[in-house]
Amino acid sequence: MKTLSHLFILVVVTLLLSGTALAHKVNVFAYVEAGKVYTESYFPDGSPVEGGKVLVYDSQNNLLLEGVTDKKGLFNFAVPKVDDLTIVIEATMGHKNSFKLKKAELEAGR
Amino acid sequence: MRAVISILSVMVLTVMMVVTAPALAHFGTITPSDDIVTQDDSKTLRLQVKFIHPMEMHYMEMVKPKQFGVVHDGKKTDLLASLKAAKGKSPDQTESFTFWTTDYKIRRPGDYTFYVEPTPYWEPAEDLFIVHYTKVCVNALGLEKGWDQPVGLETEIVPMTRPYGLWTGNLFTGQVLLKGKPVPFAEVEIEYLNESPGNISVVIPPADPYVTQVVKADANGVFSYAMPRAGWWGFAALNEADWKLKRDGKEKGVEIGAVYWVHTQDMK
Repeated sequence: MKTLSHLFILVVVTLLLSGTALAHKVNVFAYVEAGKVYTESYFPDGSPVEGGKVLVYDSQNNLLLEGVTDKKGLFNFAVPKVDDLTIVIEATMGHKNSFKLKKAELEAGR
Repeated sequence: MRAVISILSVMVLTVMMVVTAPALAHFGTITPSDDIVTQDDSKTLRLQVKFIHPMEMHYMEMVKPKQFGVVHDGKKTDLLASLKAAKGKSPDQTESFTFWTTDYKIRRPGDYTFYVEPTPYWEPAEDLFIVHYTKVCVNALGLEKGWDQPVGLETEIVPMTRPYGLWTGNLFTGQVLLKGKPVPFAEVEIEYLNESPGNISVVIPPADPYVTQVVKADANGVFSYAMPRAGWWGFAALNEADWKLKRDGKEKGVEIGAVYWVHTQDMK
């Protein structure tokens, strides 16, 4: 009986945790200013994605660089290549999203 | 066949309008070309600012507004100078009327609340001026932040339901504020925008009371309405201003409206 109630609590806790996780879709936004790419990673309510992995790919899907977001969800780097870039954010528990930074924007922000 | 049906519906609508003339409700409108801007969408919004009867599709002449702007991340930006005059009319109006349009480029994630304060409109039929403080919210790039904040207009509806990503049939709840304070038992008029893009057929109300829906707010100025069709829905809370305006040397009352627009989409 005791085992059952423990199991029940475990199920409830799991449901609660997974419920929160589902509602926490991650996002990444990027812009270019003075030769630098600024990325911001956030949850829908505006809280930052801290310690998220950022991966930057070129138009041929070659990994150019990677980094980790800071406390404010930010990660900046010098323009690695003037190309259509795909910036991927990987947060914990498999949450992932990407942002396409167009070549034209990189040219305009040089 | 389609043309015949549409001509027929316009004719029926015209007859309806003659019959239902006194029931017309005025609405300030701001309709953006998109209410949820994602990565792959155009970042340039086309906004139209009008003064119309949404269900009947009738336009009224709108002179250049007093204020037009956007609030993003708690910061107000004046966009009045960007407005350009355009002309429009309903299928059964012979004359065209002025409305206003602008393009706005989204640069950052977050909620963008566009607002307009029109120049007072003289309505001889009601012997008063009408000023509709109108708002609409556009979400950009996954950051859902800002929609629940008031702009600080003389009167306004503050949404309590997130005002985008709404399904047809969803309940929209808002609070009516006048000078920043809730308006107990405020009367809220609701209309469907018959010229909504994607509206499959013009809605023909079977009787007067169907044109404008009416709900009353509770003691905290909070009201709700479930929207039965896909497209744009306008909510207008009307109050009388505690100030007057002069017309031909006489003081006239001013109806101030707090108007909010939301978009619904069918579940498919």
